[in-house]
Amino acid sequence: MGQKTPRIYSVELNGAKDMKQTDKGDGKDKYRGLQDNCLELRNNQRQEHLTKEIDLDDHKLSNKELETKYHTNIVTGLSSTQAAELLARDGPNALSPPKETPEIIKFLKQMVGGFSILLWAGAILCWIAYGIQYSSDKSSSLDNVYLGTVLALVVILTGIFAYYQEAKSTNIMASFSKMIPQQALVIRDSEKKIIPAEQLVVGDIVEIKGGDQIPADIRLLFAQGCKVDNSSLTGESEPQSRSCEFTHDDPLETKNIGFYSTTCLEGTATGMVINTGDRTIIGQIASLASGVGNEKTPIAIEIKHFVHIVAGVAISIGVLFFIIAVSMKYRVLDSIIFLIGIIVANVPEGLLATVTVTLSLTAKRMAKKNCLVKNLEAVETLGSTSIICSDKTGTLTQNRMTVAHLWFDNQIFMADTSEDQLKQTFDQSSGTWASLSKIIALCNRAEFRPGQERVPIMKRVVVGDASETALLKFSEVVLGDVMEIRKRNHKVAEIPFNSTNKFQLSIHKTDDPIDKRFLMVMKGAPEKVLEKCSTIMVNGQEQPLNNSTAEAFYTAYMELGGLGERVLGFCHLYLPADEFPETYSFDVDAMNFPMSDLCFVGLLSMIDPPRSTVPDAITKCRSAGIKVIMVTGDHPITAKAIAKSVGIISANSETVEDIAKRLNIAVEQVNKQDAKAAVVTGMELKDMSEDQLDEVLTSYPEIVFARTSPQQKLIIVEGCQRQDAVVAVTGDGVNDSPALKKADIGIAMGIAGSDAAKNAADMVLLDDNFASIVTGVEEGRLIFDNLKKTIAYTLTKNIAELCPFLIYIIVGVPLPLGTITILFIDLGTDIVPSIALAYEKAESDIMNRKPRHKKEDRLVNKPLAVYSYLHIGIMQSLGAFLVYFTVYAQEGFRPSTLINLRVEWEKDSVNNLEDSYGQEWTRYQRKYLEWTGYTAFFIGIMVQQIADLIIRKTRRNSIFQQGLFRNKVIWVGIASQIIIALILSYGLGSITALNFTMLRPQYWFVAVPHAILIWVYDEVRKLFIRLYPGSWWDKNMYY
Amino acid sequence: MWVMLQTLNDEVPKYRDQISSPGLTVFPKPVTALEYSFSVSEPESYKGYIEDLKKFLTPYASEAQKNLKVCTDGALSEQKGPVYEACQFPLNLLEACSGENDPEFGYSQGHPCILVKMNRIIGLKPQGQPRIECTGNSKGENTTTLLAYPPEGNIDLKYFPYYGKKLHASYLQPLVAVQLNYTASSTPKEVTVECKIVGSKNLKNYDDRDKFLGRVAFKITMRA
Repeated sequence: MGQKTPRIYSVELNGAKDMKQTDKGDGKDKYRGLQDNCLELRNNQRQEHLTKEIDLDDHKLSNKELETKYHTNIVTGLSSTQAAELLARDGPNALSPPKETPEIIKFLKQMVGGFSILLWAGAILCWIAYGIQYSSDKSSSLDNVYLGTVLALVVILTGIFAYYQEAKSTNIMASFSKMIPQQALVIRDSEKKIIPAEQLVVGDIVEIKGGDQIPADIRLLFAQGCKVDNSSLTGESEPQSRSCEFTHDDPLETKNIGFYSTTCLEGTATGMVINTGDRTIIGQIASLASGVGNEKTPIAIEIKHFVHIVAGVAISIGVLFFIIAVSMKYRVLDSIIFLIGIIVANVPEGLLATVTVTLSLTAKRMAKKNCLVKNLEAVETLGSTSIICSDKTGTLTQNRMTVAHLWFDNQIFMADTSEDQLKQTFDQSSGTWASLSKIIALCNRAEFRPGQERVPIMKRVVVGDASETALLKFSEVVLGDVMEIRKRNHKVAEIPFNSTNKFQLSIHKTDDPIDKRFLMVMKGAPEKVLEKCSTIMVNGQEQPLNNSTAEAFYTAYMELGGLGERVLGFCHLYLPADEFPETYSFDVDAMNFPMSDLCFVGLLSMIDPPRSTVPDAITKCRSAGIKVIMVTGDHPITAKAIAKSVGIISANSETVEDIAKRLNIAVEQVNKQDAKAAVVTGMELKDMSEDQLDEVLTSYPEIVFARTSPQQKLIIVEGCQRQDAVVAVTGDGVNDSPALKKADIGIAMGIAGSDAAKNAADMVLLDDNFASIVTGVEEGRLIFDNLKKTIAYTLTKNIAELCPFLIYIIVGVPLPLGTITILFIDLGTDIVPSIALAYEKAESDIMNRKPRHKKEDRLVNKPLAVYSYLHIGIMQSLGAFLVYFTVYAQEGFRPSTLINLRVEWEKDSVNNLEDSYGQEWTRYQRKYLEWTGYTAFFIGIMVQQIADLIIRKTRRNSIFQQGLFRNKVIWVGIASQIIIALILSYGLGSITALNFTMLRPQYWFVAVPHAILIWVYDEVRKLFIRLYPGSWWDKNMYY
Repeated sequence: MWVMLQTLNDEVPKYRDQISSPGLTVFPKPVTALEYSFSVSEPESYKGYIEDLKKFLTPYASEAQKNLKVCTDGALSEQKGPVYEACQFPLNLLEACSGENDPEFGYSQGHPCILVKMNRIIGLKPQGQPRIECTGNSKGENTTTLLAYPPEGNIDLKYFPYYGKKLHASYLQPLVAVQLNYTASSTPKEVTVECKIVGSKNLKNYDDRDKFLGRVAFKITMRA
């Protein structure tokens, strides 16, 4: 872009161009880019296949040769029988949807994730343990069987839940893709027929016209003024003209090939189908996506890490106590049972369910904020995102041309570009404005669809192209009923826009009853319009156009063009009444009216403005340490302008080119260190080596990639991932799907996105709005923090559940806590509280810290494990043991008596076991007391878990800073704990199968001092963390 | 923990709700679950039982009992302390099973003695006239006569209530002996005996889950 400075947008007002084609450029680079990518990726077989296919030579063949090759006739087309045969051979002309994983596989996958493996292992160990017990004693307790079954059930139920959740999001997605079946006009049996495009076969002769989607890859046989939009294939947004001449060896560049899924913008053409369905170019690119492996989500990695920790702890404690047990002369078989028991006791049964529910809660919350998550684990991925590669159009911008600036009376005025502009506030008193507004209103072919009077102007549907729509809405806002104005100023003649003229003209009778003159209004490319003018209107007065006014015009034109805006010039002329009487008949072909000496009125520039929420969102990203990279097919100037206006390039950052221009030196002389921002074009990117790209990515904090093809997105994503970044990518086109898949989190656009993109993505933005991503990031970070809390909470009581067993083995006291009771803690009282932690608000502004480092900021780190297991866990065990010993002592067994009582205690034949007071107990009486002990221990843990729950609300702040009552769900959790415990102890007290007994009310309070101690202890921990940041304490006690 | 231990009473546990009714146990302690098996002709086979019984009855020797109080029959001996006295349980109440006349407790003659006792429970005051009633059930036409000492298996109320190991250190539990008389000659002689407490309202002799609450069942197999 440096060679022809300053380069200004030319104006395109033609046809059904949509917003994606805002600019003009040298389209050929695009094709080259595509091919290069193909070459670069050659090691992949699919891509090799692709390059081979691209070497198709149909474009070089003559019509005759084509007819022979495809056994068809250009005039009569295929016969129906031929077509039917070919259809049977080649299959329908449609992109085969990406291979759907069979539902059963998806379902089974839910059951073998990191956590599930742990639970399965636990379940199998339980059954093995029972097998061992059974082989030595037929009447051994079934506890292990129950436990194993419950573990298996937990995995299966959680799997069903997760499957159901994901299926639900998939269904929501499916509802988006209600595609209207495409039709094609085909010549068969010498007749023109309209058939569904799916039934097209190779050799069919199809006719297309402006507005149609090209139904297959076709070789053009006849074309008239045909232009196509290849953006879905190449990212190139400039319309390409198409003819039937062979112009280039390369099939992608030759003019006589039209590609499937591209759009014919104007003109008509006839072509022969040369490829259908997946064999089309776009079909092959779409299939690339399946060749790109899906990355493991960060949370999956974290959970794996966590499973390793738990398994490590379990096995080491297990083996340690196995050795102790053996050396204490326990039978080896018993010791193995102990070993298994210890390992299984370490399995956090409830955590899998909790994590799944927590993730789906967040997913639900995100869906409400327009982020639909397809894969539950992706919920967190967004939180660890460190680079977002965002599209421009539609994501950062409103995807709607809007009037941004006006220039008249030698002044630039700014227009309101927000989404719901209600009125324009610039100065409208000048006479020039009166004229200009009239031209804007009259010289416009766009119209509102009828019946939308009640719809806000900005939301009304308009028939017309993007620029005309923008002008229509603009004048509707400023002037009121434009249709009425047009009616009053009857149009007598019109020349629509075309790309050779680059202007649009219409002649109207005016609504001034006295003035019988016709008014000619014109708009178009500013320089073209100015050429036709000899005067300029200033403050409502016509003045001759001299050098200084022309200078002013150019300055304004440059300035607006430099903002990346599309500039239009407006002029008018009142035709003298004597020459053009009321009855004068205008002939647009003969041009029987003056086309010079018009009066220039003003300039107006339009842009697809940023969404109003985006700048804030970008600022948030920046403070959150997330780098936002814009990747767009647009022109660098527009890209840069939008990047600047949304803050992707901050106000005081300069690119190398900016510095060169400011210092007036050559680009090469600029010290690259000075530049913070960079605008890299697809051309430049193509010539870069991996190292060079890495250097660009690391050395510039603010990067815009412009004029890039969708394929280059993949290269950019890979570059970012080489920096160890967690990359989020937005995309909508079929061609984005490889990048979406490659990214750590692919975000597809819900409105603009293609099915292929949505399929490849992990998340779908329902409103296509960038700001929604930021809310998603916030939720993702929060869930990571809260999962930490949940895990810390859960791990703590694991120790309190494990200690009884260890003490039982080593000290020989009657078993303090039974297996079934443990299950009631893990899957009963603790479930709601651990989920409640998911509702915890962020401690401090989570959007003010850097994204977590993939390899350093682990979900479960050493301080978390140590603090939970060894600090709070041990304290909790002590508290629970206190309740246990109290119950036993008050019933007659003092702690000293209990030691080494195990063997006698468990002997069924001993029915007169003496307690500390000389009383004698039958076996069943002891058993009942043992269950009371279980219940006591259970209550002890439960009471302290309440304290544990409260302290886990925060990791750094005092609970009082966080607010004890802000998270109401915590209290629901506490209530649920107490209620479940009450029911178990009093409601089911008589059901001995569950090993619960009625416990005296006072025992509920025995552990309360311990609970308070836990709270105080944790407050002290947090206080020291806050007081001495960075100290030893902070490093080892902050999890 | 320490605080908790301080709150404990040294003499009496705070609660006795879980042992409101006593269990029954038998002596000698069978090796396998409540099955006695011996042969009259092989002294070795019942030597263990005899020793066990002897050991169990050591505190009941008249020498050991001589400091104990002779209590009035038929009434609870409630005491207020501070010194709690225990009542004598003269071994001769067990008559043939006392071991005084027959140091082999009838085993050598094929009339084995089994001692049945109620578990100690602090503060337990039986109502009515508790006694231990045993019934024998043997296979085939064999009939078994069960003799109980003291007669009818009566348990005198004077041995209640019990005041705990610390206060009532010399306490002696009342015992009931059951002696079997096999009439049939077929061998092996097998008999299942079930004993339970009867005659007292507050002493349960049946519980769904606790097979030893107020009752006990055992099997005696006597080989030739």
